[in-house]
Amino acid sequence: MTEIRKRGVLAAVICSSPFMNLGKAQARTFGVPDLRLVEIPHPFGGLALGSVQVRAAAVIPQLVSLIKEHIK
Amino acid sequence: MTAISALLDADGASVYSDDDFDAVNALVRERGWGDGLPVVPPSEQRVAAMLEWCDRPWDEPFATMAPRYSGVTPLLLAANAVMAGCRPEYFPLVMLAIEALCEKQFNLYSIQATTHPCAPLLIFNGPVARELHINGGNNAFGQGVQANATIGRAVRLALVNIGGAAPGIADMATHGSPAKYTYCAAENEAASPWEPLHVERGFPSDATTVTVIGAECPHNINDHQSLTAEGVMMTIAGTMATTGANDIYYPAQRPLLVLGPEHAQTIADGGYSKADAKRFLQQHAWLALNRFSPENIGRRFMVTFRDQYANAAPDAPVHAVKHAEDIIIVVAGGVGKHSIYMPTFGGSTTPVTCALKRRDGSYVQTIDECRRA
Repeated sequence: MTEIRKRGVLAAVICSSPFMNLGKAQARTFGVPDLRLVEIPHPFGGLALGSVQVRAAAVIPQLVSLIKEHIK
Repeated sequence: MTAISALLDADGASVYSDDDFDAVNALVRERGWGDGLPVVPPSEQRVAAMLEWCDRPWDEPFATMAPRYSGVTPLLLAANAVMAGCRPEYFPLVMLAIEALCEKQFNLYSIQATTHPCAPLLIFNGPVARELHINGGNNAFGQGVQANATIGRAVRLALVNIGGAAPGIADMATHGSPAKYTYCAAENEAASPWEPLHVERGFPSDATTVTVIGAECPHNINDHQSLTAEGVMMTIAGTMATTGANDIYYPAQRPLLVLGPEHAQTIADGGYSKADAKRFLQQHAWLALNRFSPENIGRRFMVTFRDQYANAAPDAPVHAVKHAEDIIIVVAGGVGKHSIYMPTFGGSTTPVTCALKRRDGSYVQTIDECRRA
């Protein structure tokens, strides 16, 4: 994601809530402080497919906003 | 003025505090630089004394440490070694451990940031380990010996303060473990019936080495009844095969078995070499497939080992370790019929062994050689 972002391509990392600090710190470490993190509830591991789809649907509006912002 | 005064005057190089034990520790707590225990204030004089045992340039990085991927300089590391309570002559071994941990195949990033409770375990071999009295005998992994306590602690403080793995920020361990305060011991080479670990891994016996392993806390193996090699190893195998360790779910794992001297002798008296023992353990350490949850079978074994388990019977064996040669065996501890087993973080970390060397690549024989001329 770092390499993709450095090439100017819109990129976002899906990150569960407790890992947001780590995600932000790593984005700064790798030189892409503006790398967008899309926050989802925790835990994510062990979810059945149906629950994963619900989580995915919940963040679609965030992703749409990111894309719209990027193409302005 | 000390030999490091000029380095400390550089912009951003130093943090100043009142020359007071309580004030320094309050600052360390406030900045999140400690491990919860009091630290030895890293005064200019103490850091300079530590660096008298380092002949590299003090302000040049010799390793890059995840997850911050910052450069580890002897100066930064020496401050952490002082805070940990290291004697200055321990510093070459602290640097050696950091070098090993920052090798790519160890995968320090994963060990640092994971929810898993693993910690870098340091196993020392060789003459300098003995010279510095790193304990490999009675209570080897417990408290009481300065070398074990402070070398391991220096590494942990560096992992936090230089590597950036502060709890909740980058260190996401669900529970952590006491091993994250210090996790350091020597092999009890004198009590071993076999070749020591570093010789097994290709180093001469007179080399001093550290082997770093991303390991869980020790799991005890208590067998006071078995009289034969096979009996002891059956108990060990039963302890190795567990549903809750990462190793069993990966194709390659390198767990550590620390045999107490009495168990080691029983196994050797049964005619087993280390390699023989590893083969026995690999064959006998298994669980039936139906001991695992349906989700773990479906989402882990059927993914990683699909060919093997797609049509397997419910009681098909799942071996704790897939390759005998991957089991690491050392002998350590004192009296008593106990051994200990340390599962690891799993397949994405590989133990690394580094040796203490002179500039010309030959092996250091005594710690005095590491003192600056």
